[in-house]
Amino acid sequence: MSRPDWIVLALTLLGMIAYGLYKGRASKDLEGYFLSNRSVPWYMVLLGIMGTQASAVTFLSAPGQAYTDGMRFVQYYFGLPLAMVVLCISFVPVFHRLKVFTAYEYLEQRFDLKTRAFTSFLFLVQRGLSTGISIAAPSIILSSLLGWNILWTNIFMGGLLIIYTVMGGAKAVAYTQQLQMVIIFGGMSIAGYLVIHRLPAGVGWTDILHTGGKAGKLNIITTGFRGGSFDWNDKYNLISGVIGGFFLALSYFGTDQSQVGRYLTARSLTESRIGLLLNGLVKVPMQFLILLLGVMVFTFYQYNREPIFFNQAELKVLEHSKYKDSLALVTSQYEAVDKERVGVGTGDAATRAQRLVTIQKEKEGHKATIRRWLTAEGQDTNDTNYIFLRFVTDFLPKGLVGLLIAVIFLAAWGSIAATLNSLSSCTIIDFHKRFSSRKLSVEKEYRLSRLYTLFWGIFCVAVAQLAYNIGNSLIEAVNVLGSLFYGVILGIFLVAFYRKRTGAHAVFISAVIVEAAVIILTVLSRKGIVPLSFLWFNVVGAVGVILLSEILQLFMKKEPAPAAEKRRRLF
Amino acid sequence: MDEDRAPLFKKWSYWYTLVIVFLIVCILFFYLLTKHFS
Repeated sequence: MSRPDWIVLALTLLGMIAYGLYKGRASKDLEGYFLSNRSVPWYMVLLGIMGTQASAVTFLSAPGQAYTDGMRFVQYYFGLPLAMVVLCISFVPVFHRLKVFTAYEYLEQRFDLKTRAFTSFLFLVQRGLSTGISIAAPSIILSSLLGWNILWTNIFMGGLLIIYTVMGGAKAVAYTQQLQMVIIFGGMSIAGYLVIHRLPAGVGWTDILHTGGKAGKLNIITTGFRGGSFDWNDKYNLISGVIGGFFLALSYFGTDQSQVGRYLTARSLTESRIGLLLNGLVKVPMQFLILLLGVMVFTFYQYNREPIFFNQAELKVLEHSKYKDSLALVTSQYEAVDKERVGVGTGDAATRAQRLVTIQKEKEGHKATIRRWLTAEGQDTNDTNYIFLRFVTDFLPKGLVGLLIAVIFLAAWGSIAATLNSLSSCTIIDFHKRFSSRKLSVEKEYRLSRLYTLFWGIFCVAVAQLAYNIGNSLIEAVNVLGSLFYGVILGIFLVAFYRKRTGAHAVFISAVIVEAAVIILTVLSRKGIVPLSFLWFNVVGAVGVILLSEILQLFMKKEPAPAAEKRRRLF
Repeated sequence: MDEDRAPLFKKWSYWYTLVIVFLIVCILFFYLLTKHFS
């Protein structure tokens, strides 16, 4: 990176910390620290929800995903708007009326303490580990691409934000997320404009769409049916997106404290609802545009020299292996094919696109050879996450590279800060305060909350460092971590809301059994024994808990409704 | 509850309908885009 890039990056990150410290002054009690005194307007709720969901990998991976696999990934978000509607009808009014700090508090009022503690514990384990991974993933990419030290990259990615998150709590998180989203959208828009600006004269939107379409990148809607039957192992299609995506989004936004904590900070139920519903309106088009950026970069590389493999560090490994000479030969053959694109500048957009895609298919053969050699050397064969950043560092002007790197950091910070705040709130509200026999003073509670935030911050950075040492395979495995627990947690909440006759023991036993079943199913799926994509685990977990608890309840005595549940029915 | 009145529309159900209809419109638009450029 050049000096202007370093200056832009440093100023953006330091400015964000200063802004978080300045804006994060709230009353020094739990209500102020975790809920911002329930004073946040709807637009900050919206940006907070979006900023928490969108991690660094969202902005790094999504364009690369469209580049390699096409835009069908957008279908993953089709269930989200439906989930927002269900949340606004069922979940959010209850959380607001009971004035809870954490979503799991409600479970004790509806069921019992063990169900609350079990669910909160699942959240802490899953979120703590997956946040560590969400620090490690962009750090590995940046350190590999820019030659940075991984420990320092992890500390900057997951450590600096601890300063304002510990000091300012939910208020600092909300205000910084607002500014972060503005910078992120600004940076990505400029990048999109420059991709088009750098295309040859006479090449524009029509070429992008034709080239993307001919190369199969505009596969936005896919049914998942192959040879007349539905492919349950297909990750992204219309059916898995609507059904699996619905269960995943309902669980994530309705039962994950990192999201519940955002809309509980709203100044009223109306402001929470509007924030969530607007998220339902803007999320799909936003994701569409991020993926379209990937198709734009794909078209850009049809008119410019495309690297044979985007992760340069892996190519260097091959240069020092037994494949050294073969690599030189394949690279020269690849470049000869790549030069053919210079002669496609005549004819209409559709004709040009067809010629370019024919050249691209020839290039794919050489790329496959490189991947085969990398596999033989035990290296990472997936360069999807490197595509967008490689384009940024190779083709964007000085200063803007620093801004786009800052965008990656800020996207990570927004998501991690909200998570640290929620991990801390569950630790103190669901465990420390709940199980401690000593009554804590307001000041002591406040100080402990800050200490727990600090603890979780250090824990997540440590997990990130550990993940790097173990390797990329762990990162891939932990990508499905959310779906491992989300279904079961959602099942517990759905029984709580909709099955009034089901008692605490039935739901608790069902949750433990179904969780074990989902873990076994995941192992079988990863070994290829059960062909089921991870999105379906959410459906299996949620439906499994509902059905099993119904069956178990038939053999159990009806439990008296807890006092708080009786109170809730009065509303 | 007075504090929970839906803004812009008379009822919250209109908001819910808007979100669902917008999703359907998006899916239809994406379908046409996929078909046209495939």
